[in-house]
Amino acid sequence: MTRSMKRHHPIVRITHWVNVVALTIMIGSGLRIFNAYPAFARKGEIFCCYPFEHRPIPDRLTFGGWLAGARNWHFAMMWVLVVNGLVYLAFIYLHGEWRDLVPRRGIVSDSWQMIRFYVAARRDHPRQGKHNALQRMAYFAMPIVGIMAVVTGLAIWKPVELAPLTNAMGGYVWARYWHFWAMLLLVLLSVVHVFMVFTVDPYSIPSMITGGYREDLSPEARNARPFIHLLPGRRTATPHTDAHPRS
Amino acid sequence: MRIPDPDPDARRVILPGHAAERLGIDRRRFLATAGTSLGALALAACDSMGPRSAQRLLKYAEAKNEVIERALLRHTSMDAPPRGAMAAGSHFPSYFVSKTVPVWDPAVRGVWRLEVSGMVRNPLTLSLEDLAALPRTGYRLDHYCVEGWTAVATRTGVALTELARLAGVQPGAKYVDFQSFDDDYHESWDIESATHPQTLIVYAQDGHYLNAAWGAPARVYSPVKLGYKNTKYLTKIVFLPERTGGYWSDRGYEWYGGV
Repeated sequence: MTRSMKRHHPIVRITHWVNVVALTIMIGSGLRIFNAYPAFARKGEIFCCYPFEHRPIPDRLTFGGWLAGARNWHFAMMWVLVVNGLVYLAFIYLHGEWRDLVPRRGIVSDSWQMIRFYVAARRDHPRQGKHNALQRMAYFAMPIVGIMAVVTGLAIWKPVELAPLTNAMGGYVWARYWHFWAMLLLVLLSVVHVFMVFTVDPYSIPSMITGGYREDLSPEARNARPFIHLLPGRRTATPHTDAHPRS
Repeated sequence: MRIPDPDPDARRVILPGHAAERLGIDRRRFLATAGTSLGALALAACDSMGPRSAQRLLKYAEAKNEVIERALLRHTSMDAPPRGAMAAGSHFPSYFVSKTVPVWDPAVRGVWRLEVSGMVRNPLTLSLEDLAALPRTGYRLDHYCVEGWTAVATRTGVALTELARLAGVQPGAKYVDFQSFDDDYHESWDIESATHPQTLIVYAQDGHYLNAAWGAPARVYSPVKLGYKNTKYLTKIVFLPERTGGYWSDRGYEWYGGV
């Protein structure tokens, strides 16, 4: 295929889909565990910072069936998540892929230009490398929030044996709260990611399965924003003439 | 419908309507891959317990986690609730497995006594007065429930190491079973957790003798174990060469239940 190139290495593709399964099970079982006590307050106290205290998560969003089942899944799947994450991070470090993911100088103004483009305040797609500035920030944030989820998780798994870690987060109650926030951020990043994949670059789905990707169908080539220019060959914007830095 | 033309580029021209083919992927392969991923997720979603075949894997993970938890256990790691944490007081939850609050009725069962037996040189039988006369240990401690809540209380009683010393525990004793008169409730522990300095045979909470709702006359309590491991309404402490499971451990909760 002349116009196609491998966009994602097999290790990136495999760890991506393993992560989808592991995160789904971790979040579902985590919510089931949370439902056993859907609040943060220490007994006899009131918790300041969660407006839905004692209101359980809808059952259909949970996984594991009951508390023990959910705990067994959570404590088994956490190792899949951790090992998968380490394999991914080691790979992108050793293979140089991190260069496409770490924010660079100008990331703020580049992101601003992407936002302007998405809200149609700018006509042509900013120039980009493998990812645009907003993607770069999201894909950089994902492993960081993942690490936050793992570390806060360790703190609530072992608040006595790993007391210094738990205390660094403000104690067990707060560590549990930060663990919940890490989950919320992971859900937020994933939801936005999936939304953008389907509304801006559905042609990238095969690139995460077979690795193949056609640059002539990239959002930049199609001048695509959410729901706009989804089909190829409808490009209306003029070719890039500005000297905007490639992110 | 099968497309006879093997040339992927040509195929793209013939059938521009199908995303997979337009992208040069075999339709079957696309569907198979998408189907497998969706199937895995659907399987996870439709049966909320997860696939039955996974149970063995979960048991395996639990056994490996126990190795890690045992390695993490330190007798020098002590629980200390945050300074500003309020004591739960009357908000401390009450919990038992019998239909009604288990109450030891001396008229029916005679005077309550705690038995320390099994692999010991001198089995003990201690009344509440005997317990109260032994060296007293008290800590302000977090209670970590498996459900996720914590509660702060001051626990007073006798360190289990003190009872173990008095009973003369034999070297082969690797486990301890804590039994109760709350129906058939019991939980067995590893000896290392049982001999943690904050593992107490508690007879008073927040300065008062335990009431029936909190496990009177005595219970075991240690912050290194989740709530369900800490048997209330205690009758026997048995030192054993092998683990004997427990009420919740036999029903799917982790046997180790460390904190």
